[in-house]
Amino acid sequence: MKQLKILAVDDDPFTLKMLDKKLAKEGYDIETASDGVEAGKLISKKFYDIIITDLVMPGGVDGIDVLEAAKTKNKQTEVILLTAHASVENAVEAMRKGAFDYLQKPVNFYELTLCMEKIKNYKKLLKNAQDLREAMDVTEQNAAQTIQLLEMNVAELNNVVSEIRQVIMNQSIDPNKCVARVLDIVSS
Amino acid sequence: MIKDKTDDIKEISKYILDISGINLDESKAYLIETRLGGLIKEYECSSYKELRSKAETDSNKTIENKIIDAISTNETLFFRDREPFEVLQHKILPDLIDRRTEKASGLLPIPIRIWSAACSTGQEAYSIAIVLKELLPDLKKYNVRLFGTDISDSAIAQASYGTYNKFEIERGLSKGKLEKYFIPNGGNWKISDEIRAMVSFNKGNILKPFAGVEKLDIIFCRNVAIYFDLEERKKLFENIASVLEPDGFLIVGSTESLTGICPIFEPKRYLRTIYYQLK
Repeated sequence: MKQLKILAVDDDPFTLKMLDKKLAKEGYDIETASDGVEAGKLISKKFYDIIITDLVMPGGVDGIDVLEAAKTKNKQTEVILLTAHASVENAVEAMRKGAFDYLQKPVNFYELTLCMEKIKNYKKLLKNAQDLREAMDVTEQNAAQTIQLLEMNVAELNNVVSEIRQVIMNQSIDPNKCVARVLDIVSS
Repeated sequence: MIKDKTDDIKEISKYILDISGINLDESKAYLIETRLGGLIKEYECSSYKELRSKAETDSNKTIENKIIDAISTNETLFFRDREPFEVLQHKILPDLIDRRTEKASGLLPIPIRIWSAACSTGQEAYSIAIVLKELLPDLKKYNVRLFGTDISDSAIAQASYGTYNKFEIERGLSKGKLEKYFIPNGGNWKISDEIRAMVSFNKGNILKPFAGVEKLDIIFCRNVAIYFDLEERKKLFENIASVLEPDGFLIVGSTESLTGICPIFEPKRYLRTIYYQLK
């Protein structure tokens, strides 16, 4: 699987630096934004697989706004909210709005990597399901064409057979004419 | 030991066939094990035989319903295969309305009765409702009866609720239709009240005789019979024929065929798909 693109958003420079350093070390392609406004600008320009954002931020754009902007731009982006203990209720609200998960601050890095692994697996499963579905659609379309063609041919042949049967069963027709009629039906 | 296991699988397969018509032979043992493993644990059974007998003695049928939910495939999407809905919109409904209008000789409203058989979580029934709404802006002129039935309680519950998650929504729906006929509801989407009100959902087993069912104009029965054996398929399409108006329409799945199954139906081709009418 390709390297996941991450955006970390937090107005606390210490947390942001820690996320940047540790996630880069884990091999993620990470960018940072120091508030919701900056995050909004980045989201509008680029696609991120995962956005890790603080819930409460100054500047009029909070974590929920970042979540909404990300989901509007691309539903494939998954968002992890970071929240102080007091704002757990808002985090639950964020989950309702489509956040993948929320973690309490101070960030436990082990917990965060577990959550990222979960997202990775989830995306992988999703990709598998999409691949399978596409394979199924192609197979189904091909099968449908063949089956429909056969279905129509069989119906046509059945009509021919019943026409021939009618001619043969009709005893008033001269046997010689009967053969000619049958040949007519078959050749048409 | 292995023989015991095979017998055990046979036992539950027969039970599944009896309650749902779904035919799972020994080659599908993996499917039974994956899908019923949870119930074996939940009801602390040491074998499928035990699960079966618990289900049979459970008077409120909770276990039976759970087995049906676990074993039935609810694969569906909005406007699945697209073509059947185009045929509905451009051929079937216009033809039907012309004929019914003639028959009604000025009397209103004109009846249109449509059944989404084995409707799963409701996407097909709502897709039909959307086609009706788009084709017939003046719906009041018609007495539309559109209903969906399915054997699974939980599928019917979701269909009735009309709420879909982002994966269910992403499949088959255009952005325009999504915005027009759905309302955001938390992280999910809920079908609009107007479309919801057009459909009624009920639990029902399509293999049971359709006693007391009124005649229908259009029946969708797609990708259901594929799970049944030949005898059950014959029974199903004969049942369907018995409730279809003589000039009614039947639509089956895009890879299904009625050849050799139900000769009273005649295939007809329109655009790139086939529909059936009684001969």
